Amino acid sequence: MAQEAMVSKRDGPATAMEAAAGFRGVWWRRLLFVPTFGLLLLLAIVPLIFSLGISLFNYSIGSKPVWVGLGNYLNMFTDPQFWLATRVTVQFTIAAVSIEVVLGILFGFVMNQRFTGMGIIRLIVFLPMMLAPLVVGLFWRFMFDQTFGIVDYLLTQIGLPAIPWLIDPFWARVAVVVVDVWQWTPFVTLLVLAGLGTVPTDLLEAATLDRASNWMKFRQIYWPYLRFPLLLALLFRSIDTLKMFDSPFILTGGGPGNYTSTLSILGYRHQIMFFNVGMAAAISWVVVIIINIVTNILVKLITPAKVGQVHTGL
Amino acid sequence: MKILKRVLGVVLALFVAAMFLFPLLWVVLASFKTKLELLAVPPVFIFQPTLQNYINAFNSDFPMQVRNSLIIAISSTVISIILGSLTAYGFSRYAIKGSDFLQFWILSLRMLPAIAVVVPFYLVFRMLGLLDTHIALILVYCLFNISFAVWVLKGFFDEIPLELEEAAMLDGYSPPQVFLRVALPLARSGLATTAVFCLIQSLNEFLLAVSLTTRVAETAPVGLSKVQTLMGVDWGLLSAASVLFMLPIVIFTIIVRNELVRGMSFGRMK
Repeated sequence: MAQEAMVSKRDGPATAMEAAAGFRGVWWRRLLFVPTFGLLLLLAIVPLIFSLGISLFNYSIGSKPVWVGLGNYLNMFTDPQFWLATRVTVQFTIAAVSIEVVLGILFGFVMNQRFTGMGIIRLIVFLPMMLAPLVVGLFWRFMFDQTFGIVDYLLTQIGLPAIPWLIDPFWARVAVVVVDVWQWTPFVTLLVLAGLGTVPTDLLEAATLDRASNWMKFRQIYWPYLRFPLLLALLFRSIDTLKMFDSPFILTGGGPGNYTSTLSILGYRHQIMFFNVGMAAAISWVVVIIINIVTNILVKLITPAKVGQVHTGL
Repeated sequence: MKILKRVLGVVLALFVAAMFLFPLLWVVLASFKTKLELLAVPPVFIFQPTLQNYINAFNSDFPMQVRNSLIIAISSTVISIILGSLTAYGFSRYAIKGSDFLQFWILSLRMLPAIAVVVPFYLVFRMLGLLDTHIALILVYCLFNISFAVWVLKGFFDEIPLELEEAAMLDGYSPPQVFLRVALPLARSGLATTAVFCLIQSLNEFLLAVSLTTRVAETAPVGLSKVQTLMGVDWGLLSAASVLFMLPIVIFTIIVRNELVRGMSFGRMK
C-alpha cells in the first residue's frame, strides 16, 4: 500500500507543528504510520487474499490441493447444512438484537435514576459484557441442565413446566438467545444511558411543566438523543451476533441436529474436524461479505461529522 | 404518589441488577460445593463451603493456561498500545491524504470475523511451525487490538489542546519529543483505559485460541472448553476456574468503569 507516497504527497503542512518539522519530520511521520499499517497489511490483507485463493481449491490438510474453481462455493450453496447455518445465524441475530435493544432502552431508563447505591447497581449490570463469552456460556450450560439446573428448578417453583433447554431444537436456540441477551443487553443499556446523560435538563423540566405524556416525552425529548447511541448499539450487536461462535459452541456444540450451528461454527467444523480447508475458507468468505455489508452501513453512520451529536455521558 | 414512584424505581433497579447478578452468584456458590451438592435435586442454597474445587483447579492445567493467557494478552497489548498510540497520534495531529478512508479501513479490521482469518492463519502458522505457540496468538490478537487502540486513542489525543504542544515546539522540542514528553503523559489515563480493554478482549477471545493452539500455548478459555469432555463434566472444578478467571476481569471493569462507554463504542461516544 502506498503509505509513504501518501505522506509525502500531502498538499503542504496543515498545522504549525508540521511547518516546523523539516526533513526529520518526514521520518517521524513515517514512524507514526508505516509500522502499524505494515503489520496490519501483513496480518489482514495477506491472510484474506490467501484464504480467497484456498477457497478455490479442494484442499484437505495432508493432501495435495486440487483446483476446483468455484466448486467449493457451488457445493456450499447446494449444501442444506450451509442454508441451515445461515438461517440459524440470521435468526439468532434478529431475535437477540431486537430483544437486547428493547430491554436495553427499558433498563437504560431504570438505571438513569439517581439514588445511593446506583453506582454499584450499574457496575453489576455492566459486568456481564466484560466477561469471556465462553465462560458465560459455560455457566449458563450448568444452569440450563435438565436434571440439576437452577433454571428449570425456578420455573417449576413458579408453576411453569420444566423446559428441555439444550436438548430440544427449538429451546436450544432460545437458550442461545437468552445467554446472548443476558450478556449483551448491558451493552445497549450502557449506550442508552450515555445518550440519556446528554438530554438537557431544562428540556425535561419544560416537558414536566407542560404535563407531556410519557410517550410524547420519549418521542420528542429523549429520542433525538437516543437515536445515535441506538444505531451504534444495533450495528455493533448485529456484527457480533452474525459472527457468533463461543456461546453456542460451549452451550450445545452446535446441536441438537445442527440447530444451533452458526456459520462460524460450520466453518470451524470444516476446518478443524473435517480438515476441509477449502470449504472452510469459502464459508468464512460468506461471513466476511455479510459482515462487510453491515460494517459499511455502520461506518457510514458514524462518520466523524455525526460524532458531535454525542458528547458527555455517564 | 411521588414517593411511590420513587420506591417503584428503586425496586425495578434492584430487580434488574438481581437478574444480572444471580447467574454470577450461582457460579460462585457452585465453586464452593462438593460434587454431591452440585448435582443435588432440588439445588441446594445453604451448605458447608469447601475449597476442594479451588485446590483441584490449582492442581490442574489451569494455572498454566492462565499463564499462557496472560503472556499472550500482555504482549499483544503492549505492542498494540505502542503502535496504536503512534498511529492514533498521527491521525489526530497530521492531515494525511485519505485519512478518513484509512481510519475506516482500520475499523473494518476490528469487525473482521475471526473465522475469516482462522483458515489462512492456521495454514501459515503450520508452515512456519508456529502453531501452538504464544507468538502466533500474540500476532493475531494485534490485528484486533491495534485497530481498537487506534480508534479509542485518537479520541483521547483529540482532547489534548494543541496549544500545549505548540508551546513545547516553541521551546525547541522536536515532534517526536512533543509526542513523548507532552502528548503521551497527557493521554496516560486514555492509554491505561485502552490497555485494559485490549487485555480483557485478548483474555476473553476463544475461536482463534482454540484453532491455533492445541496444548502448550492453550489459553484459559480453551482449557475451560475442554474440561467438559473428560469423563463427564467436573462442574466444581469448572466453576472454581471460571471464578478465578473472571476475578481479574471484574477488577479491570471496576478500574475502567468511568470509561466503559468509550471503550465499548470504540471512542464514538463518551
